[in-house]
Amino acid sequence: MVLLLAALTCSTVWAQGAAPAASGGGDAAAGEALFKNNCAACHAASDEVVVGPGLKGVMTRVPNKDWVYKWVKNSSAVIASGDAYGNQIFNKYNKLQMQSFPDLQNADIDNILAYIESAATAAPTADQAKADGQGGATAAPAESGLSTQYFTIILVALLVVLALVLLVLIMIITLLTKFLSNRKDLSDDDRELLEQRTDIGKLLQSAVVKGAVLIIAVLLLGKIGLDSVMRIGIAQGYAPKQPIAYSHKLHAGEYKINCAYCHTSVYKGKNASIPSANICMNCHSVIKNSSPEIKKLYTAIENNQPIEWIRVHNLPDHAYFNHSQHTNVGGLACQNCHGDIEKMEVVEQVAPLTMGWCIDCHRKTEVNTKGNAYYDKLVAIHASKEPMKVATIGGIECSKCHY
Amino acid sequence: MNHLRKVTFLSLIAGALLTVACQREHDDPGTEYAPNMYHAISYEPFRQEASFKNPYNKFGNNLWLPVPGTVARRNYQTKFGKDSTFVEDLMIYNIPKDSIGIAERTLKNPVPQTEQTLADGKELYTRYCQHCHGETGKGDGTVGKVFKGVPNYSGSGYKDMNDGHIFHVITYGKGRMWPHGSQVNPVERWKIVQYVHELQKQQ
Repeated sequence: MVLLLAALTCSTVWAQGAAPAASGGGDAAAGEALFKNNCAACHAASDEVVVGPGLKGVMTRVPNKDWVYKWVKNSSAVIASGDAYGNQIFNKYNKLQMQSFPDLQNADIDNILAYIESAATAAPTADQAKADGQGGATAAPAESGLSTQYFTIILVALLVVLALVLLVLIMIITLLTKFLSNRKDLSDDDRELLEQRTDIGKLLQSAVVKGAVLIIAVLLLGKIGLDSVMRIGIAQGYAPKQPIAYSHKLHAGEYKINCAYCHTSVYKGKNASIPSANICMNCHSVIKNSSPEIKKLYTAIENNQPIEWIRVHNLPDHAYFNHSQHTNVGGLACQNCHGDIEKMEVVEQVAPLTMGWCIDCHRKTEVNTKGNAYYDKLVAIHASKEPMKVATIGGIECSKCHY
Repeated sequence: MNHLRKVTFLSLIAGALLTVACQREHDDPGTEYAPNMYHAISYEPFRQEASFKNPYNKFGNNLWLPVPGTVARRNYQTKFGKDSTFVEDLMIYNIPKDSIGIAERTLKNPVPQTEQTLADGKELYTRYCQHCHGETGKGDGTVGKVFKGVPNYSGSGYKDMNDGHIFHVITYGKGRMWPHGSQVNPVERWKIVQYVHELQKQQ
């Protein structure tokens, strides 16, 4: 708010005349640093509304420059004094109190105003640079598209050549057969060979073909049967469609939001916890609030109804697993078991989550004892022997997980 | 007889082809072995089975809100420091949302600052704050750039904000920031406060 007002005051000063503004203003370079540190969180130097109003042309809007100084230093005092313009701005922007900046000197505010003025005139070039950047970006995918196109063309050309070869061969056979059948001096055996026709029906009836088909079918069915039996109780590859099309690729990958931000209990508890809607709202109160997927979130909150996210990773009840033991104590990264979650549009169970898979890792993994006094004596005992694996300290005892 | 054999052959082949074609869909978790050993009898919090509906909960799930006024105790300490720095604090936070002034005047960080608590604070800051507030607290995190309105900790209005103010803001939110009290418990919040003070000192 204060920034807003400050910006507004600035623009009026400029409006009084370009030349005096420049001389009476301040150092735009110093202003830029101040603006970025103090104002840019809520204000743009253009006319874009961020949190507070865009500050382009602010001095044409505010009552006078003194008003800007007062507003920036303590906007709530200005509002409380009943200032008409201050209250108008305060109400227009959802009664969000602008931060007070008592440390900013009048000269600092002048510098900021100078920066806003210079940014307003420099803005078009920035847009142009952006447009150029976009042009460059579109060129790259076109190149890769070209190579696949070439591939298809080559493939089609090869197929055409093959078809032509086949055609020529058939023509040669027909010609030769015709030529031979016109000759009178052929022996009976040769003639029989010449007039031979393949009888597909008879071929299928032959014992060899029947036997081969039978063996292949039995082998195939056997393999399929065995595979499906071996997959019982293993949900590897399970990637259900969720009620809201949430993308881990976008949130964890592109925006680098830490896993624990939403899965809050992953370092503390048995479960990693599925976030409640209030955590989504921490960002989606503002971001993408017109998207149909986000509207589902708002509906859930209005109805006070939890979103029924579909659980992907399920362990049977007879196997105990604790997240905190692995993440907090063991220091394992989530990706060890969950795969490249930050690249998944839809989450998929990557690991088989079978007992063999658990045990395999317990046999291979050395215990992370760094900075954990609990293990000091054990480490001393094992120092002269093989490295201490999870299995060494009971990681494959039945009752560790089944009790 | 011959005809019968032909039919058997063909159906065998067709069967094999069909089974190959019918790969498990991505929506299908597959067959469960011995479901009565798989499914918990107790009401596990994240239990989710088509056949199960919790009869005592409107939506049929096992997750409940705590009774209003519940004080969570299990996951954090109440005693800090040794000898001269010893503090006991139940971390019951009764200051209402709109009274940030009271928090600023009365609250003091009960967690004595050590290298370890500061390191914890940094880790927690990375998990819960960094994507908006940025690695150095300049408000330039990956999400912060899109969310907008994220302040700079070392900016003139922010660099002097005290323990109580920061703790209150994490708990209840302020301006565009929503409450984060459900994600970080009071001890964690105090550790984050220590690290935020470090970021305030940056230039």
